[in-house]
Amino acid sequence: MTPATPGPAASPKPQYTPGETPERHFSDDELVWTDEEKEQIATYRAQYPTNDGAVMKGLWLAQRKFGWLPPEGMRLVADTLEIPYAKVYGVATFYTMYFKEKKGQFVLDVCTCFSCQVCGGYDILHYLEESLGVKAGMTTPDGLFTIQEAECLGACGSAPMLQVTNGPYVHNLTEEKVDAMLDTLRSASASGGLAPGGGGFALPFESVTLPQDEDEMQGNRRSDAEAVTTYRTPPTAEHVH
Amino acid sequence: MADTLLTGESKAGDWRSYERVILPPVKDLHQIDVYEQNGGYSALKAVVRDGKFDPKGLTDEVKASGLRGRGGAGFSTGLKWSFMPPVDPEKPRYLACNGDESEPGTFKDRQIFEYNPHLMIEGIALACYAMTIKTCYLYIRGEYWEYVDHVQKAVNDAYAKGYLGKNILGTDFSTDLVVQAGAGAYICGEETSLLNSVEGKRAYPRIKPPFPAQKGLWSMPTTINNVETLADVPLIVNRGASWFAGIGSEKHPGPVLYGISGHVNRPGVYEYPTGMKITDLLEVAGGARGGKKIKAVIPGGSSTPPLRWETAVDCTMDAETLREAGSSMGTAGLAFLDETVDMVSWTRRIAHFYHHESCGQCTPCRDGTGWMEKLLARIDSGEGYTRDLDLLLDLCDQMEGRTVCALADAAAWPVRWGIKRFRDEFEAKCKATSFQGADLATAGDGASGTPALVDGDKTLTPGGTP
Repeated sequence: MTPATPGPAASPKPQYTPGETPERHFSDDELVWTDEEKEQIATYRAQYPTNDGAVMKGLWLAQRKFGWLPPEGMRLVADTLEIPYAKVYGVATFYTMYFKEKKGQFVLDVCTCFSCQVCGGYDILHYLEESLGVKAGMTTPDGLFTIQEAECLGACGSAPMLQVTNGPYVHNLTEEKVDAMLDTLRSASASGGLAPGGGGFALPFESVTLPQDEDEMQGNRRSDAEAVTTYRTPPTAEHVH
Repeated sequence: MADTLLTGESKAGDWRSYERVILPPVKDLHQIDVYEQNGGYSALKAVVRDGKFDPKGLTDEVKASGLRGRGGAGFSTGLKWSFMPPVDPEKPRYLACNGDESEPGTFKDRQIFEYNPHLMIEGIALACYAMTIKTCYLYIRGEYWEYVDHVQKAVNDAYAKGYLGKNILGTDFSTDLVVQAGAGAYICGEETSLLNSVEGKRAYPRIKPPFPAQKGLWSMPTTINNVETLADVPLIVNRGASWFAGIGSEKHPGPVLYGISGHVNRPGVYEYPTGMKITDLLEVAGGARGGKKIKAVIPGGSSTPPLRWETAVDCTMDAETLREAGSSMGTAGLAFLDETVDMVSWTRRIAHFYHHESCGQCTPCRDGTGWMEKLLARIDSGEGYTRDLDLLLDLCDQMEGRTVCALADAAAWPVRWGIKRFRDEFEAKCKATSFQGADLATAGDGASGTPALVDGDKTLTPGGTP
């Protein structure tokens, strides 16, 4: 009787149960900052009047280092910034972009908010689910891809679109473009050398040309843009959820 | 007959020959050298080094320009600046620049980050000068990771050239700019919630008063401005308040970035004066996709009530006119929806968004958005009853104005006005309530949300299913 609501199919299981020692994912040897990272943290601390202010940047640093935020990663941030673990845990669990559970190597956040919804965001989501054989909220068995349904990513003009692991945007998606993207990501992973969890790799930054620039400047205004795309007529949505 | 603003006449003047100023057609303007060659940082030099305005004079100039915040609320920027208490050397003061654009349908600030970040940085430095502020936090949503990097590079360049940092342009004015990335929470776009996020807390909105100008970041005087608002400040300094006030609508002047999405042939961000007719904007965006009929327009992001096309044709994009039409300017992120769109599914998706993004601090919002989504999902899947519509309107009454911040209102408006303006579509998806006297759709007026219960019929409790 209760119809399914849109949203991730699998709810994340809690990472930490009070009274239980959480399972460790990283050893003590791995839980140390490099000199470069220590320098970064010192910069962050200098930017705020209290150490609390640097929490979000510290968590970002940890997530880019470990690929996600296990409890011991949060504790490392807490100890470094000399603030209670509970505070760091509270912040990490408030924001969706901090991964509290291990995800695939590439997290595909498909935007399905209304501008994308009416232009086929769910078509792309369902196509991805079919191609990868898993539902939104799940990771493929080879650990390569996690599909997620995302809230508005702020690229409504180039709908439908998705974001890869909190990093590059892929605009104006079609089934062909999704296939090409999956191939690029697969071969990038096979060739190795990808930093865990970090964005900005494997796919180039796509600069979307303003329509007025197209008319007045005959194309994108940046000469240093890695890749360029234009806004195009949105497709019809076959599925709305 | 009362005067109406819905005359269908454009307030944007000669917009066809409008020359862009926020995103002028200059190649590689995001590079500091190119920006300088095109008159960049001249406003900062004129004010800080050459003394064109003192801090109060600059605030008055911005006030005189009629600049209104571009982040959604449309409050006078100069007036906001003047709320800052007198300078107390013991108390640090802060500026927070809100680049957390996460409202569905809004994607304008991203273009400033990518194509003209120095205009925003110059505006930030000028705002800091006007309010004697030594630190600004620029908060960019975490999803814009690549733009955060891009802006950070621009900020580093500005530091290297002495436009930010200690003793700007050799004067005794100093200000620092810290770029901070969010991590995916829509609520951070709410100003007090943004403050908590900068302080490194869970981003719960704060109750007002005290207003941020009294107690903001770390309980110190703070002003929060949108990215686009601050990008307008150097233009006002360079060309004068009267130039700015003369662009577009009289009461809501200036250039504005319209983010046009949905079923148009050329979606994207367009810069035009305020007061553009919605039909003109549809024309510049290439008309409706596939020659279909446009059914609804969302004038400024998901929280602004949708307008029926019949109303929208007489509307111009400025705060006063849109208020009269029963919507609001919001962030000027227009979405055009054509006749293929099912308004029930559309409303349901918006309800899902607000349910997901509710921070969970206030019960009416945390629970209300959830029930709203459940009810809409039930109606959308054809299991709903007509009385559910009144239950939804009642729910809106229970949410609006009963929470710390405006997220509950933002969630309720599209649902309330979606039902009121597209009731036929909602009713078509509903089953008729199955026993006599129970069809509340005809009993209430729909606005008060108080369902008229039939005496003696105890089964008619709101929330139950017949």
